Amino acid sequence: MENTATYLGLIPLLPLAGALVTGLLHMLTCRRKPLPELFYGVVGCIGPLLAFFFALVLFFHLKGMPAEERFLSHIPYTWFAVGDLRVDMGFLADPLSSLMLLFVTFIGSLIHIYSIGYMAGDENFGKFFSYLNLFLGSMLILVLGNGPVVMFVGWEGVGLCSYLLISFYSKERENVLAGNKAFIVNRIGDFGFVLGVSLLFWAIGAGGFDYLALQANAGSLTPGVGIAVCLLLFLGACGKSAQIPLYVWLPDAMAGPTPVSALIHAATMVTAGVYMVARFSFLYVQFPVAGSVVAWVGILTALLAAIFGLFQRDIKKILAYSTVSQLGYMFAGVGVAAYSAGIFHVFTHAFFKALLFLGAGAVIYALHHQQDIWKMGGLKEKMPKTYWTMLIGALALAGCPPLSGFFSKDEILFSALAHGHIGIWLVGVVVAALTAYYTFRMIFVVFHGQPRDQHAWEQAKDAPAVMTWPLLILAFGAFFVGFLNLPGLFGGGLRVSHWLAPSLVESHPHVGLGVELLAVFAGVAAFVVGITLAYRKFGKGATEPEYRGFARFAYHKFYVDELYNALFVQPYKAFGGVISRILEPKVTDLPVRLSTWLYRWAGNAFKVLQVGYVRVYALYMVIGLSLMSLILSQSIN
Amino acid sequence: MFSYALSVMIFLPILGGLALFAAPVGRGAARAIGMAIALAVLAMGIEIFLGFSPVGGMQHVEHRPWNLSLGISYSLGVDGISLLVLMAGAVLFPLVYAVFTTRTKGFYANLLLVQGAMIGAICATDLVLFYLFWEIMLLPVFFMIGIHGGAGRLPATLKITIYTIAGSLLMLAALIYVGVAHQAQFGFWSFAIADLAALNLSGGFTVWAFFMFMVAFAIKIPLFPFHTWLPDAYTEAPTSTTFVLSAIMAKIGVYGVIRFVIPVFEIEFARWALLLALAGVAGMLYCGLAAIAQKDLKRMLAFSSASHMGIIALGVFCMNVQALTGSLFQIAAHATSTGVLFLFVGLMEERMESRQIDEFGGIAYQAPIFATFFAIAMLASVGLPGTSGFIGEFLIILGAIKFSIFIAVLAGTTLIVGVCYMLWMYQRVFFEKSNERTAQFKDLRLAEILTFLPVILLIVAMGIFPQAFIGKIEPAAQLQVAQLQKGGESGGIAASIDLAPSPHNHKN
Amino acid sequence: MIQDYLILSIILFSLGILGVISRRNVFTVFMSIELMLNAANLAFIALSRLHESMDGHVLAMMVMAVAAAEAALALAVVILLHKHKGKLDTNVFSLLRG
Repeated sequence: MENTATYLGLIPLLPLAGALVTGLLHMLTCRRKPLPELFYGVVGCIGPLLAFFFALVLFFHLKGMPAEERFLSHIPYTWFAVGDLRVDMGFLADPLSSLMLLFVTFIGSLIHIYSIGYMAGDENFGKFFSYLNLFLGSMLILVLGNGPVVMFVGWEGVGLCSYLLISFYSKERENVLAGNKAFIVNRIGDFGFVLGVSLLFWAIGAGGFDYLALQANAGSLTPGVGIAVCLLLFLGACGKSAQIPLYVWLPDAMAGPTPVSALIHAATMVTAGVYMVARFSFLYVQFPVAGSVVAWVGILTALLAAIFGLFQRDIKKILAYSTVSQLGYMFAGVGVAAYSAGIFHVFTHAFFKALLFLGAGAVIYALHHQQDIWKMGGLKEKMPKTYWTMLIGALALAGCPPLSGFFSKDEILFSALAHGHIGIWLVGVVVAALTAYYTFRMIFVVFHGQPRDQHAWEQAKDAPAVMTWPLLILAFGAFFVGFLNLPGLFGGGLRVSHWLAPSLVESHPHVGLGVELLAVFAGVAAFVVGITLAYRKFGKGATEPEYRGFARFAYHKFYVDELYNALFVQPYKAFGGVISRILEPKVTDLPVRLSTWLYRWAGNAFKVLQVGYVRVYALYMVIGLSLMSLILSQSIN
Repeated sequence: MFSYALSVMIFLPILGGLALFAAPVGRGAARAIGMAIALAVLAMGIEIFLGFSPVGGMQHVEHRPWNLSLGISYSLGVDGISLLVLMAGAVLFPLVYAVFTTRTKGFYANLLLVQGAMIGAICATDLVLFYLFWEIMLLPVFFMIGIHGGAGRLPATLKITIYTIAGSLLMLAALIYVGVAHQAQFGFWSFAIADLAALNLSGGFTVWAFFMFMVAFAIKIPLFPFHTWLPDAYTEAPTSTTFVLSAIMAKIGVYGVIRFVIPVFEIEFARWALLLALAGVAGMLYCGLAAIAQKDLKRMLAFSSASHMGIIALGVFCMNVQALTGSLFQIAAHATSTGVLFLFVGLMEERMESRQIDEFGGIAYQAPIFATFFAIAMLASVGLPGTSGFIGEFLIILGAIKFSIFIAVLAGTTLIVGVCYMLWMYQRVFFEKSNERTAQFKDLRLAEILTFLPVILLIVAMGIFPQAFIGKIEPAAQLQVAQLQKGGESGGIAASIDLAPSPHNHKN
Repeated sequence: MIQDYLILSIILFSLGILGVISRRNVFTVFMSIELMLNAANLAFIALSRLHESMDGHVLAMMVMAVAAAEAALALAVVILLHKHKGKLDTNVFSLLRG
């Protein structure tokens, strides 16, 4: 028991140690004789694999405990304590974090292995593994932290790694700019997070600042403060999980290597916001207003990103907007207080989106870094393994029954309907159709039809085994993990939801069979409509259409980036310039300049009197003496 | 530790510096002597830190009457408030001698003088003694900038001189006022801070005296809008002087507010705290925005430093134990991170003969170790958790919320502002493509790595195990805040806001 | 009676000052200074008579001695100045100009 709890501290430490070792070795050797790639690959994979092993041990340990007592906590030391504030460097494993832990370490390990193949030949191979390990360690701190402040350590840590990995190919200015954008936009979210956490402390944090204590004290929150805390925390989630209005960084983040896009910008880091909202379910459930805001922001983001996804030509950008859109679904789920449905979608999405990204990576790898789908086509014959695995991923994403995406998405839409959020449900169904459409647009254009670039097509082939095996494993997962949470309608027992129940505060409204059937029917119908449309337009080969009107507007992503640039970035820089060129020298510097000027002026004024003739000085003396005598005689009288 | 430790820490460098002026030695020997003295002071500082017991009061107290008729005494002491400032003054100086090797004998002598005077100002518990050391501390800086500075050193020296002299004169006047008031109230002269704290100051002139003190310290911190000497002085000064100015001397300004202004003027302080806090955040935003427009790397860091000082000052004005402790911690954190950044820039200037951001690029490929060290210091400066910068910033923002939501929201933007200019700078200096200038850049040598490594490790250790530091400063901060709240109550000012009607809220 | 002497002394002194201030020739300035000294002497003698003590006389004798010494020194200086610049106009000597 006590031993198992100490694994909690060990789990994040393992990848962090890996990061330290690989990072130091790379730093010291890269300018001289680089170490062999295999060494970095093996050292880099040990940490994640061991962490996965311990995560499994932990999971089964928790599973062996009675449902209501599934909490393991390990507090190595007090991080800092000032006044009533006491923050422990503590880790907590409960059903929610153990589930997250399990799939983060699992998918993380797979992607580490995949990267050995994908990054082969890169001069910064060691650096890549160091960053990837650092990321995994930070993510595990985020998941395992026992309170909001420790979570923030991981929260910022993953943000840093995201920055480092997006700007990994740092010789190109655009990549670094994309990294900067990601970090800065994330920081805007963190601003909300820090304020929310601070506000939460003054409201209910004096009795202990970890989740369990906060949950116990949450009853005394006043609505004003409570809603403010919820919304501020959600601002943090918007930054990390790319929701309106802070979603803009995620598509640009595709500048990083593809395994990074799969691990960080699809499967794990970007879902941290959803995890955080679920973690604070005891707050959001008290203030349904805040929950509604979350749900609406989520579903509108889902809609917006899906629309953008329809017109992208870069295969990774399609998947990026798809990720934003799916994250919107998750927020819609946790916003309508269906936390287990949201987390379940996080879980399934991690499998099929990582699969799609890694598949896309295999395609890009095969085509020598070609990412434009309109230069692909007909790759089905050349890359069968990639095709079939990606097809499973695409079907899961599009919500084809009985693949995993279908069940998790259906659970969210059904919950929205059951909680009476008809509007959210309607938008959600539309987005489901759009999702099916853009996903299969991609599949058809890339793998079907005639090759558009004959030369590249001839050279294309499936990736080496170290890259395809992770694909196969993920495809297996994307196909089957949905059955873990089979709803009652299909004879299942909602096992994931029941597993999560002790960590979450949620209610399951009872609705009739009709509503349940309606939800399922609408989901299937949306899938069928979407895939049919896509097949009719792209199924038998197509050329790139010319975009006009709304399509053109959407192709340019509604010019949101340009708008933000004009509204925030340029004024920011201009203001900096105004300060340093006008305000600083001419206004705030005025007192100093004025004082020197005054000295000079006074000097010049008195210089006139210094004529140099002794007799004039004598005159001054006489005048002075006369005045003195006058004053003295006045005062004597 | 023997009982005269503080005196030795003060007068060893001062006497060493004076002797160095007179002694006919070369620059190498001068540097070696300086290094030896700095290391001796460092050893004593570490001894004091380790032996420091986490209670509220003064330790290592020395007291001997000096001028009986005016009640001036030579009294020294260290408590939780001065501990980390003292440590910054002791830990960072050896770096200066280690990194820069080409200065003249006079420069090293000035450096020794400034260190001794700083430690004196930090340890003095008598207002007049503090003032004395304060003035001695400023003098060598004029020479260091004026003689050894860059091309625009003369205007910069003039500017810092005008500002600091103005501040010093104001402080002198206010100091006399306080002494006279004490004599009038208690019938005897005293400038000991413990005696002055008992003063019950009121009346029209008190406000003036308060602001005279505040302006003197605000100039040194520097608090908006008294910061304009800073960019010029920091940019034109030799890097080691910039390092001393930013890492330690600016902190003595904040320290002076905590040590002398708060206990003496608790009512006025509570009354004007909101205004001062506004000045703090305004300075943070203003300098942060100005930083992004800078082309000179050193000047950008100067604005960045001023921006962070705004936040540190804010923590003092928020009047609760979290924010105050945060400030005290951040003093040390900022001293290490920004100080090291300045040293790095000095190193780059020495090796590439430029400070223009546009002329750099791709250093990360030439010098991975240097780039990593720089990145760690930079991340600490933007407050990334796991580095020293986060703890203080978080505590200050947390405390600011209690003080005023509006101020806290403004203060929170420091998270965004800092990262903008730092990342953009890092991109243009370390990433992108290298050019002829940066292709020549040599990575840190082993000796340099060993010089910087302790500080880099300190930055990380302070982020991961901050309680070792916070535990020592927190009791003193508690005492200080308790005193303030007494003042706030008797002044009839409700400076804090209630967020929830919970009984825990009124504990601090 | 005593007022008359003092008024005369003041008039003489003022004339001396006027001479020092307004005349440019070194010799005239020098003579004006002598006039001022003698005005002071007159006052000394008059006041000595008034108080019926010899102190004033002593001082007057002293002033005369000093004036004689001064004259010797000043004339030497004047000769040097004349050698230096060739003129006796005080406007030529303006090294103190600010």
